[in-house]
Amino acid sequence: MEKMKSNESVHKGVRNLLLAMLAVLPAAVSAGPSGQAMAFTCAGCHGTDGSSVGPSMPAIAGMDPEVFVDAMKAYRQDERNSSIMNRIAKAYSDEQFKAMAWFFASQRLQLFPQKYDAALASRGSELHDEHCEKCHENGGRPGDAGTLAGQWMPYLQYTMEDFINGKRKWPRKMKRKVDAAIEEAGDDAIPALVNYYGSQR
Amino acid sequence: MPRRIETKRVACLWVVLLGLIITPAAYATTTEPAGELMIDHFDPETGKRIIPNERCLTCHGDEKHRNDVRDDGTPVKIFVHRYEIEASVHGAQSCTSCHVTIDRVPHREAPEVIVGCIDCHRQTWEEYRDDPDDKHARLEIVTEQIDNFMQSIHAQPSSLDQSRTNATCYDCHEGHNVGELGSIQRADKRLKNPEVCGRCHEKQLEEYSTSDHGKAVLEMGDSEAAVCSDCHTTHEIASPVTDKAKLQITKNCGDCHEDAQRTYFKSYHGQVHRLGYTEAAKCHDCHGGHLVKGEDDPTSEIHANNRLENCRNCHEEANDNFLSFWPHGDAHDRENYPGLWAFRVFMEILIFSVMGFFWIHVLLWLYREVMDRIQGKGFIEDLSKPDLVYFRRFPAVWRWIHVLFAISTMTLILTGTTLLFSHTAWAKVVVDFLGGIRMEGIIHRTAAMIWLSIFFLHLGIAISNIWRNRATFEWFGSTSLVPNWKDFQDLKDMFKWFLGRGPRPEFNHWTYWQKFDYWAPFWGATVIGISGLILFMPDKTSLLLPGWTFNIANLVHAEEALLAAIFLNSVHFFNVHFRPERFPMSTAIFTGVIPIEEFKHDHRLQYDRLVASGELEKHLVQRPSRRAELAASFITTVLIMAGLTLLTLVLIGLVTLPS
Repeated sequence: MEKMKSNESVHKGVRNLLLAMLAVLPAAVSAGPSGQAMAFTCAGCHGTDGSSVGPSMPAIAGMDPEVFVDAMKAYRQDERNSSIMNRIAKAYSDEQFKAMAWFFASQRLQLFPQKYDAALASRGSELHDEHCEKCHENGGRPGDAGTLAGQWMPYLQYTMEDFINGKRKWPRKMKRKVDAAIEEAGDDAIPALVNYYGSQR
Repeated sequence: MPRRIETKRVACLWVVLLGLIITPAAYATTTEPAGELMIDHFDPETGKRIIPNERCLTCHGDEKHRNDVRDDGTPVKIFVHRYEIEASVHGAQSCTSCHVTIDRVPHREAPEVIVGCIDCHRQTWEEYRDDPDDKHARLEIVTEQIDNFMQSIHAQPSSLDQSRTNATCYDCHEGHNVGELGSIQRADKRLKNPEVCGRCHEKQLEEYSTSDHGKAVLEMGDSEAAVCSDCHTTHEIASPVTDKAKLQITKNCGDCHEDAQRTYFKSYHGQVHRLGYTEAAKCHDCHGGHLVKGEDDPTSEIHANNRLENCRNCHEEANDNFLSFWPHGDAHDRENYPGLWAFRVFMEILIFSVMGFFWIHVLLWLYREVMDRIQGKGFIEDLSKPDLVYFRRFPAVWRWIHVLFAISTMTLILTGTTLLFSHTAWAKVVVDFLGGIRMEGIIHRTAAMIWLSIFFLHLGIAISNIWRNRATFEWFGSTSLVPNWKDFQDLKDMFKWFLGRGPRPEFNHWTYWQKFDYWAPFWGATVIGISGLILFMPDKTSLLLPGWTFNIANLVHAEEALLAAIFLNSVHFFNVHFRPERFPMSTAIFTGVIPIEEFKHDHRLQYDRLVASGELEKHLVQRPSRRAELAASFITTVLIMAGLTLLTLVLIGLVTLPS
């Protein structure tokens, strides 16, 4: 008798659980994973909440959300050269890009001190002001032209090489500006700029 | 008590969980670095990027780099004056509120300048029109001008490229430099106006710059002198080949040249223009449009040496006579146009004295008859003795002549006064209804021919009547229309009667007012007829007569017609139809007969004379048939109504005449 009673309560519990699941499940399915949840998978490379700790891995915390979506779409369509991002990007929808973009845009970028050449950084500062500041405003702080200030120097170096070697498409007007900087400072131009951005906190 | 324990456990679990949530949050707020988050650059409601003006001005406000190159390598001006826009009416706007297609900076694609001014201004006005402060009051004018613009030639699709309009707001308004009323920008704008229009209208600017207007504005910096928009309007601009533009421009000349316009409107040229027709000469036809210059300039179209050539643009056969025409003749300017002035003064004295005298006559007569009727006196129909015997006053020919004369006179008044009162709305409606100014001219001339023919026909009949009866005709006899001493005596006695100082005088076959009605058209026919004949075929008569005769003919023709129009439709109507003894009308001129009692009352002396001579019987007839009476009443009613309508129109014209 006692056993039967306890069985009955177990059944009731199971039934209630099933009912609760029935009620919650459709909502959970339609909502999908949140931007934050999806961002967890990025953390392995881009660091916790997008503040990367690896020197060749760009920090994406505090990134302009539209720049983020542009980049992800370009990866998904194989329009931007990458190591693995083109494969990863193919798994996400526009809406999911947007959700992730807004998650990273809401994060504060944690910068880690890098070693840099002060003389080159100073030259880079001049070059930046002359050729880059109009697009990469405020010394290259996060904005509609991406994040340069405090960005990892090796990443910046690789990216500039990609541009110069034709592996990545120049954004409008950028080639003109970079060419002008190189004309002005020669082979020092790119290292100077990279050191300048790396020098920033 | 497992239940209570369970509750405690659950509560403890909640506290721990809450702590787990709160602690990192509290920790985070205290340790997070300062600085904006990227999401702050986006509108939280719409998720759209907020692009501050400073961001735009980083490139577009850089004085050192005013130009850039497009993707195709062509140069493009990108500079915007920061201070100009900040001082303009749009200073508080963000760049992207007008440049709505700009969503990314740096621009990912070559941006197109797509700016729509209209919707924003209309919406803003709708939103603020009921505001108690007048901060947005100017938008009412702006939205009006938008409506004008939308009707203009500038808002039409370009014939070279239908995807765009001929011109749009910012082709003329410097988009970044729209000033408030009275601001420096607006004062500068007048002087810049020719340059702005000249960007597209190059040939016109070239011509304009040689004109007196152009020299004053472009060389002397006189912002009061006429710029393009003063004549062409700012927004309601029509194609210059359209009537709308021609009318508009001519009207606008008068905004500055008031006297010239006033005198122009007095001329036939100006009257036609004011009625909305462009066939007659307009300011720019004689003075040159963009090339307008003073008459002393030998290159001016109105210089003495060029003037005749100018007239020949329309009057192909024009000869030297044209040079003595006063296109701006001013009958009020005694110094410069003494002849014209004298004719006007004479005609006005005539009008005022005739009308003044007869209106007093009318009022006193009305007063007397009303008083008499109140006292049971005067001519009152005896209902127990219905009119059976009638006196024959007019043979059929006079009746026909009168009806034709009346109709042609009214036609002449209607068509003629549309010119004289071309400023009125009714004149425009009438001319439109008649089929335009040319058709109106034809109708007026046709009516004039009928009118004059009747006049001469009547003269012929009258002379032949007198000739046939020359043996017995008495020029000053009782049936003669020639005024005699008794008429003056009657007039004096009538005034005595009006004032209650004597009996009503007894009259012959014709009373003095009937004689006046008869003789007045002789004077009228002379004045109107001669001036009318001069004006009948101006292209031909101008070859024979000096130009100034047209100024005088135009003046006296109008003044005399005005006198006739007012006299006939008020004094004549009262004397014949409206005085209480006759009211509402006398049909005698159409039936040709009046009841014998009425004849006895109004023409007692003649009645007595006919009775004494035994000739009365000869003139007596039966009462006209009911049908004849109805027909006569009908015609009389129509003519009276037409006459009163004309009188009303004339009075409206006179009262509203611009001083």
